[in-house]
Amino acid sequence: MSRPAFREARFWLLAAALLLTLAALFVPRVMLKRDAYDAVAFVDLTASMNTRDVSLDGAPVSRLDFTKQRLKNFVARMPCQSKFGLGIFTARRVFVLFEPIEVCRNFSSIDAAIGELDWRMAWEGDSYVTLGVHDAIAVAGELNATLLFFTDGHEAPPLPWTGLPAFEGKPGDVRGLLVGVGGKTLVPLPKFDDSGRETGTLTASDVLQENRSGLPPPDASSRPGWHPKWAPFGDMPVNNNEHMTSVKEDHLNAVAAQTGLAYARLTGAHALHQQFGAVAQPRSVTAAADIRAYPASLALLILVVVFGVLPLRERAAHRRSHAPARLREAHP
Amino acid sequence: MTLAFTHPYGLLLLPLAFLPLFAGVQDTEPYPSLQTARSDPLSNAADLVLRLLGSLAIAGLVLGLAGLHRLGQSIERTGEGANIVLLFDRSASMNDTFAGDAPTTTGGESKSAAARRFLKEFVTTREHDRFGIAAFSTAPMFVLPLSDHRDATLGAIDAIEQPGLALTNVGKGLAMALSMHDSDILSTHGADGGISSRAIVLVSDGAAVIDRKVQQKLEAAFLKRPINLYWIFLRTEGARGIFDRPGPNDMDTPRAMPERHLHLFFQNLKIPYKAFEVENPAALGEAVATIDKLERRPMRYQERIPQKDLSGVVYAVAALSLFLLTLVKLAEVRLSDRGLSQPAGRGHPEEQ
Repeated sequence: MSRPAFREARFWLLAAALLLTLAALFVPRVMLKRDAYDAVAFVDLTASMNTRDVSLDGAPVSRLDFTKQRLKNFVARMPCQSKFGLGIFTARRVFVLFEPIEVCRNFSSIDAAIGELDWRMAWEGDSYVTLGVHDAIAVAGELNATLLFFTDGHEAPPLPWTGLPAFEGKPGDVRGLLVGVGGKTLVPLPKFDDSGRETGTLTASDVLQENRSGLPPPDASSRPGWHPKWAPFGDMPVNNNEHMTSVKEDHLNAVAAQTGLAYARLTGAHALHQQFGAVAQPRSVTAAADIRAYPASLALLILVVVFGVLPLRERAAHRRSHAPARLREAHP
Repeated sequence: MTLAFTHPYGLLLLPLAFLPLFAGVQDTEPYPSLQTARSDPLSNAADLVLRLLGSLAIAGLVLGLAGLHRLGQSIERTGEGANIVLLFDRSASMNDTFAGDAPTTTGGESKSAAARRFLKEFVTTREHDRFGIAAFSTAPMFVLPLSDHRDATLGAIDAIEQPGLALTNVGKGLAMALSMHDSDILSTHGADGGISSRAIVLVSDGAAVIDRKVQQKLEAAFLKRPINLYWIFLRTEGARGIFDRPGPNDMDTPRAMPERHLHLFFQNLKIPYKAFEVENPAALGEAVATIDKLERRPMRYQERIPQKDLSGVVYAVAALSLFLLTLVKLAEVRLSDRGLSQPAGRGHPEEQ
């Protein structure tokens, strides 16, 4: 049979829109493979992280607050089914607060935990950053997660002249990102009293300016007042500017090279996410993807043609051709 | 019921739904004059319905594309449970066995591993509880706020088997656990009406002297709100216990016997308090079971209803409208084909 409608474009367009809408209704959710990441982040909570030499929204904030804000943002950008664990670093080792947990369902908890990171959690005043990184690598390897280590690289006490402590693991075995936090110009370290109130800045005599454990450097004999037994490091006060701090990028790069991690300076949240993505080992997960929008938007497009474009064209055509001509056509 | 959209900007397309009101789906046909045709209410109504169907189809598709959904809700229910802050001692000795050895040398289970095993079991069986985690060694450490995120709690309990730190600073740890309850009461705006039970479970293998100042602060803080305190003391073989009485030659001072004096301090707080001295993994299991039995007060808890996708519903509405429109289109007849002589080959006039 043949209906008059069959000869009309509008009917076919409507039928196509109907089919597409039905497709949108009944199309199954497609299971797509997606990347998810397992990450464990360690945040340096030593005193130098309280230095306010970075800015957030135009206001100066401490390196720790800056890290916290960027880390929260980073977790928010992790795809669902990724896992995130959190830990802290002080003295010479890291401490795991919680092992990696799924980020989407537990987001509020993770967000609160990052927000509560405080330098008062630190259990000692030392800051052996290199040893901390070495320890963090061991822990991250155990947890089978990509490492994120946020630090300003400020070693306190300073490294001995012999350089970095030896790394016992296999470089590159654990993937990770060493993130440098802080400004590049030297600023004084803040000073705190016994109750944790800030009382000014440290002076050169407040901190160890030189690591004097172990053997003295070979050139020590040329120092003023040197004596092999009573003053093996010389007897004049040295000032290596250890009471001033900046992000120690050279040192962090050296640590990264020693351990096979990647180094990046903390800037924006997006950049951090990309730098992390470049080193992280993604884990393939299946996730239901909603593809209903494709047939539905096609159906919508067709309806716009049917109800908008076609009538407009018809009207334009109508105006062009004169009514008398039409009459003649109908009544020849 | 709260409705929301995944892509609200998609709603900018919604005015497209007015298109059918200006132009119908029917074919226009030339007709000599409409002067003779009378206005027919039924036809007008049919016309309007057809136009509305078109609008409905477009609106349905736009709403579906914008991702119409009902927001996840939480419904208040009543059940048995409690708000519990688990306060862990993360001092290094927790990684030793109950016999005081390193776990590798004897094959025994370390205290932290045993605690982890039983507490994970406890957390999994307590369906309606909300858990928060704090840890302490030299300094108190906030781990996770009170929440019903079960796997977050389990992840944090897993972490107690990681190597611990040096010292045992119980006082500050307790203060942190209390402040977690405080901020939870504030953030839930007392939604539970204050009837549900709040508890702190302190898991430690040692005690320390609590500073006089901190003691006073703790006393004041515990006075403010009723919180049940449980102390699971993991006693190492040969170490002092919390129920030990001083011998004739012992000094009965907090410095000499910190465990006993911490216990006395807790007893004098005038809060529901129970101490368990645990010397092996089995006893630890019993202690946890006892807490499980005791912490069964009615509480109001929030059950979450996940968000519901409603785009299927609006797509169905759009499909139905389009189906009706297509049917109507099929029923269309052509005036010019019927009764009027037309050039051959343009349809079958007898078909009606």
